[in-house]
Amino acid sequence: MRYTELQVTTNFSFLRGASHPEEIVGEAATLGYPSVAVTDRNTLAGIVRAHSAAKKWGIKLIPGCRLELVDGPPLLIYPTNLPAYSRLTNLLTTGNRRTEKGKCELYREDVYAHAEGSKFIVVPPQLNRKFEFDTVFTNLVKEYRDAFGDELAIAATRLYHGLDAKRLFRIHQLCRQLKIGMVATNDVHYHQPQRRELQDIVTCVREKCTIHTAGYRLDANAERHLKSEQEMVRLFRHYPDAILATQAIAEACGFSLDQLKYRYPREVTPESRTPHEELSYLTWRGAKQIFGENIPEKVKANIEYELKFIAEVNYAEYFLTVYDIVRYARENKILCQGRGSAANSTVCYCLGITSVDPSKFDLLFERFISSARNEPPDIDVDFEHERREEVMQYIYEKYGRDRAAVVATVTQQHHRGAIRDVGKAMGLSVDTINRLSGLIWDFRDEGFDRERILSQGINPDDPVINKVLQLTEQFMGFPRQLGQHTGGFVITDGKLSDLCPILNARMENRTNIEWNKDDIDVLGFMKIDVLALGMLTCIRKAFDLARQHYGLELTLANIPQDDPAVYEMISRADTIGVFQIESRAQMSMLPRLKPKTFYDLVIEVAIVRPGPIQGDMVHPYLRRRNGEEPVEYPSKELEDILGRTLGVPLFQEQAMKIAIVAAGFSPAEADQLRRSMATFKVNGKVSHFRDKLIEGMTANGYSRDYAERVFRQLEGFGSYGFPESHAVSFALLVYVSSWLKCYYPDVFACALLNSLPMGFYQPAQIVIDARKHGVEVRSVDVNKSYWDNTLEEKVGKYCALRLGFRQVKGLRKEDMERLVTGIGNGYKSVQALRDVGMTEAILERLADADAFRSMGFDRREALWKVSTKDHQKDSMFVAEDVRRDIEESVELPRMTLSEHVVHDYHALSLSVKAHPVSFLRDALESLRVCPANRLKDIRHGTVVRVAGLVLVRQRPGTAKGVCFITIEDETGSANLVVFPDKFDQYRKEIIQSRLLMVQGKLQKEGEVIHVMAERCFNVSGLLQRLVPQEEDVGGIGTPSRADETTSRPDARRERKDGVQMKIFGEGRNFR
Amino acid sequence: MIIVAANEPARAKGIQVGDVLADARAVVPGLEVLDDVPVVWDKLLHRLAEWCIRFTPVVAVDPPDGLLLDATGCPYLWGGEAEYLSAIQQGLRKRGYDVRVGMAETPQVAWGVARYGVNLHVAVGKNTEALLELPVEALRLEHETRDRLRRLGLHKVRQFINMPRASLRRRFGAEFIRQLDLALGRASVPLKPVMPVEPYRQQLPCLEPVLTAPGIEIALSELLDRLCARLEKEQMGLRAAVFKGYRVDGKWIQIAIATNRPTSHREHVFSLFAIKLPTLEPGLGIELFVLEAPKVETCVSQQENMWDSSGGLEDIRLSELIDRLANRIGGIRRYLPAEHHWPERAVRPASSLQEQPLTSWPAEKLRPLQILDPPERIEVTAPIPDYPPMLFRYKGKLHHVARADGPERIEREWWIEQGQHRDYYCVEDDAGRRYWLFRLGHYDDEESSAWFMHGFFA
Repeated sequence: MRYTELQVTTNFSFLRGASHPEEIVGEAATLGYPSVAVTDRNTLAGIVRAHSAAKKWGIKLIPGCRLELVDGPPLLIYPTNLPAYSRLTNLLTTGNRRTEKGKCELYREDVYAHAEGSKFIVVPPQLNRKFEFDTVFTNLVKEYRDAFGDELAIAATRLYHGLDAKRLFRIHQLCRQLKIGMVATNDVHYHQPQRRELQDIVTCVREKCTIHTAGYRLDANAERHLKSEQEMVRLFRHYPDAILATQAIAEACGFSLDQLKYRYPREVTPESRTPHEELSYLTWRGAKQIFGENIPEKVKANIEYELKFIAEVNYAEYFLTVYDIVRYARENKILCQGRGSAANSTVCYCLGITSVDPSKFDLLFERFISSARNEPPDIDVDFEHERREEVMQYIYEKYGRDRAAVVATVTQQHHRGAIRDVGKAMGLSVDTINRLSGLIWDFRDEGFDRERILSQGINPDDPVINKVLQLTEQFMGFPRQLGQHTGGFVITDGKLSDLCPILNARMENRTNIEWNKDDIDVLGFMKIDVLALGMLTCIRKAFDLARQHYGLELTLANIPQDDPAVYEMISRADTIGVFQIESRAQMSMLPRLKPKTFYDLVIEVAIVRPGPIQGDMVHPYLRRRNGEEPVEYPSKELEDILGRTLGVPLFQEQAMKIAIVAAGFSPAEADQLRRSMATFKVNGKVSHFRDKLIEGMTANGYSRDYAERVFRQLEGFGSYGFPESHAVSFALLVYVSSWLKCYYPDVFACALLNSLPMGFYQPAQIVIDARKHGVEVRSVDVNKSYWDNTLEEKVGKYCALRLGFRQVKGLRKEDMERLVTGIGNGYKSVQALRDVGMTEAILERLADADAFRSMGFDRREALWKVSTKDHQKDSMFVAEDVRRDIEESVELPRMTLSEHVVHDYHALSLSVKAHPVSFLRDALESLRVCPANRLKDIRHGTVVRVAGLVLVRQRPGTAKGVCFITIEDETGSANLVVFPDKFDQYRKEIIQSRLLMVQGKLQKEGEVIHVMAERCFNVSGLLQRLVPQEEDVGGIGTPSRADETTSRPDARRERKDGVQMKIFGEGRNFR
Repeated sequence: MIIVAANEPARAKGIQVGDVLADARAVVPGLEVLDDVPVVWDKLLHRLAEWCIRFTPVVAVDPPDGLLLDATGCPYLWGGEAEYLSAIQQGLRKRGYDVRVGMAETPQVAWGVARYGVNLHVAVGKNTEALLELPVEALRLEHETRDRLRRLGLHKVRQFINMPRASLRRRFGAEFIRQLDLALGRASVPLKPVMPVEPYRQQLPCLEPVLTAPGIEIALSELLDRLCARLEKEQMGLRAAVFKGYRVDGKWIQIAIATNRPTSHREHVFSLFAIKLPTLEPGLGIELFVLEAPKVETCVSQQENMWDSSGGLEDIRLSELIDRLANRIGGIRRYLPAEHHWPERAVRPASSLQEQPLTSWPAEKLRPLQILDPPERIEVTAPIPDYPPMLFRYKGKLHHVARADGPERIEREWWIEQGQHRDYYCVEDDAGRRYWLFRLGHYDDEESSAWFMHGFFA
């Protein structure tokens, strides 16, 4: 007798199942099952994975679902054909849409309405005290029977719960009475009995208890695994029909996910052209707009080739859909640009989706779509991050929520989360859990290291710890929740809910499907990525400002190209705020690479990535570029691939091509290789490719060393590498933002500040940089500022930049807009501000920001004026109020400039009055500290001292424990390098300093200057000098210090440093 | 996680209160971290306060980290204020506490100098002067007010004390003015002194050694009167009591009783002791009697009509009966359900008659009333692999199984112990007696399986 398991809970029933769908299917195949079902709770999220696994193992998957109803016992449902499946997905959609994310609310009536064509199994409850089923249950089963007729059966399980025989008897009795079938199942929750421990743990996580307090919420035994057919037959020897019934259902379920037919949306063609005619019309029209009547031959050939190909694979509708979205954005003046592999398409360029000019670059259409990879094309488009939501809502509106939805991302249980959950469930102390999870930060995904665990004072041989580690390994990679993808949309022609359940996303007005990107790839669905990019917002705002203040009509396309002044600026690494090349790593590369042409920018974008760095490709490239090393190729065939990058592979395409040409991979295999790299950390299945690549290359006569280098680089590319087309798209934005910064630093800084948060830098650095370029920056003022930063009249070459209220901490946009609208002829008194509804809290914030200067008050006077508690809002006695103010003119201590600067930082995180370090110059000089801007005049190898506020401390994973620090003084910034041994030695100083002084050797390489730290000092205490002595409470005075019998309480000192840290604590830290 | 306290070695390495733990760990990887137990602070302060009663009768706890001592009239006993302060400091230091002791005319200024002062001992008449030099923190103000004063550049009391009161009140509120007045001694709040808990212990010294049973009874009766009167007054009841006699030969003798619910019922406790009184051997005579109640609990005073109620665990007569029986024969236990599948752990002894079960008895599982601890080995004949036995031999007697149900498979609780699971069967022999049997682990071809008797149904 054959047996099919029909009741299977995988880990996509979050925190219930303890095995992956793949594991269930794999085990079922190993046990020789002809078929297996997957029935997760109110979801189909796991069935695509089960489907792929079933294909691989050559058994049949029965897609199903366990319907948990609000008003009835649970039902297992198995659609027997495509229409029935669509009814099921619509049913789940109904349940999902009526409640919040993560829940599904279904009633019996809903199921009856969607029941046609499906098989049902009702899951009975436990017996009551009289060893009978409650009548509530039997009555509901009768109702089910009336609704579903012969399609209904009752599940019978033998899980060794003691009353099995009695329960089976009652089920059998009920079945006879109602004339329905009895079906054997084993209520599978895990593929093998050993997983019971993990199942207990996930139960604890779900119930928010520990294993010690879980009690009867855990199962008594480990029987809910897949058992052999023989064993199942034995268990049901008294009810052989129950085993036969599984086969009847399995055979009736002829539905497979392969039958799902995805159709592109069709209604985008006006004027009754076919989609393909429409596409070619739009493409040629676009081409003429761009190139004029004389389209270059190369472009022409490309278009013809691509159009032919698109017609063959029938993707025209897809291109039109993307075109429509881009058109909408253009019409609404939302900047957008295609990224990624789509930039390899000339058609995309002509449609205005991408911006890589095919007449200037050799595009590789095959990287975008090819017949070899039988999968839909993937077009990613970036939009302004502040306005992307408009685009997304347009899509929803145009296609309707039943036809468009965001793709899901399955949030996986990562190492740190897994150990937290497992540790908590096992009852470890919070501290131990923190220590264990702290290890992971150091060790990423490499697993646990005995030495490290011991170093944390934890004994890895302790049975509990050992168990925690072991279960954590198993738990990693478990799906935990369905989130929404950052912007991937699925749009269909018919109802999307016929294909897949739709659910509400956490964000308002968003809906998403249950499947992620890989799932829909398997099923051949089309996806459009609507992504958000901050730099586009910044550029659009800059264009607006340039129009207002300089009368320029700029677009991404009309910025003058190949301007030497721009490249000269980039070569000086004067790139704060510029897209992509503003990071410290990029900035130290720029003077070495000295980009002169656009293609150099492309390389610059691609080269400073973990991929090429880990693959050790950067230095060979630089040497070759500088002519220090001959450009040679391991073989002729590779010269074609690597010619543009001087023989050093830098782009994803190149690495893939090497695998194809040199190691004999098929294009599909090469792509698989690239993909498996991205996921190998979770699955650990990469060594197979490694062997194949290295064997293949050595067999073709390449050195083993070279082969291994190529593999290492591929490893990096998987997750971090750039395809060339993508680098080109990004380089365009690099150039545009550089051009703006070069010619209109006022416009650029203003737009950048108004687009924050984005990029690497804090407002303080952007402002300092703008002033360095000759832009006058003016402080926030109640009579002059708006919410956004604005440009005022020209002072010298550029417009002055007026800081906006958005720079002040704690102010809200609505309040400030009220303030701006109520300004009239200007505010003359604090009372006038109160009259437009400014509360005391707002006025205090404004006073802290020193925004009352136009009224003639400094911050302290203003604070005194605004901080009365008893003034009445609609005071009848305005005159009296004024009188009191006069009467109260009290002498407050005067603030020094340095004190003002400290308070500026407190309120705005920046100061336009002065740099804090400038007040300490004398003190630093006596410590023989060199200002940052003088470093360039000092010889390489000299030992110097530098000091400044810490801006960034980073220990990138690629740098083997080396710490990079950037500090800033009033003259500029200095870059420090701390090697691991020094880092360990000066750990405390490095982590705790706000003002850091470092002594070390100066290292110069062209214009790149580093200080290799040898000694570090925490001189944060000097910042104390910026404020008057009185602020130093607690009498640090010597008498009591010397007094040995009276120990100092440290409470005072602590609080005070705390204040300093808060004010100057803007450094970006390791984490 | 935030650091709430750090010891001196940690502070020396730069760890500060308020730091994020992860940052502190980055600085000192080997940092030892203990979880903060909120109630401990409070308890510790109370204990210290009680200890400080030796310096003055009026000691008040000032959370989170202070004690206030009203020293009025006390220092001269130590020979002066300086000596007094040093005695307090030394005393606490000896006990391992690092303290700062300030003294002034008002509690506020004393509080301030102890924390922020340079000169900790403010001489008589110098109170206001000392206050002027203190920072704003020394006035116990809300964080917001303090912060605003600092932002206005008013860092020390001296800078604002002479400002017009009306202006100050408008800006910093009435509480600010009140704190100022308290510090200046223009107003005062009484301290709430700590009252140490006295042990429940009564003594009765005798002029002549007591030798006779009636004498001992009278002593017990007298002590019980006093103890029960106090218990009743405080609405407490004893759960255990010890009656001790110190004999003239230097030895001491005792009898102890325990009750199931807190009681201050004099007669009842007396009757419990009465059972054991004959075991006391007065020897040459007892010269001191002591009655102690080492375990007391709050007990809501009983209304008279409660004595008339009957039945149930609430009936005091029942609990008193159990007390009497338990003190006579010992070892009466009450069991409550515990949420464990493993049968040995599925029950636990209750701590009192009143303890309510945290979980209900599982109804859906058949469990015998009597369980053997440990299970006893039996020999069975059973069909393989997991069918109920047909016959078994228990204590030499052969039983034929007439009816059976099972198996119920119970796995070990893997987080507690490792080992084989058990397959339980309920069986009925031909005489109609029902047993609970189990086989350890799976049926095994190689070795015969081990079977056990684990309990008897009624």
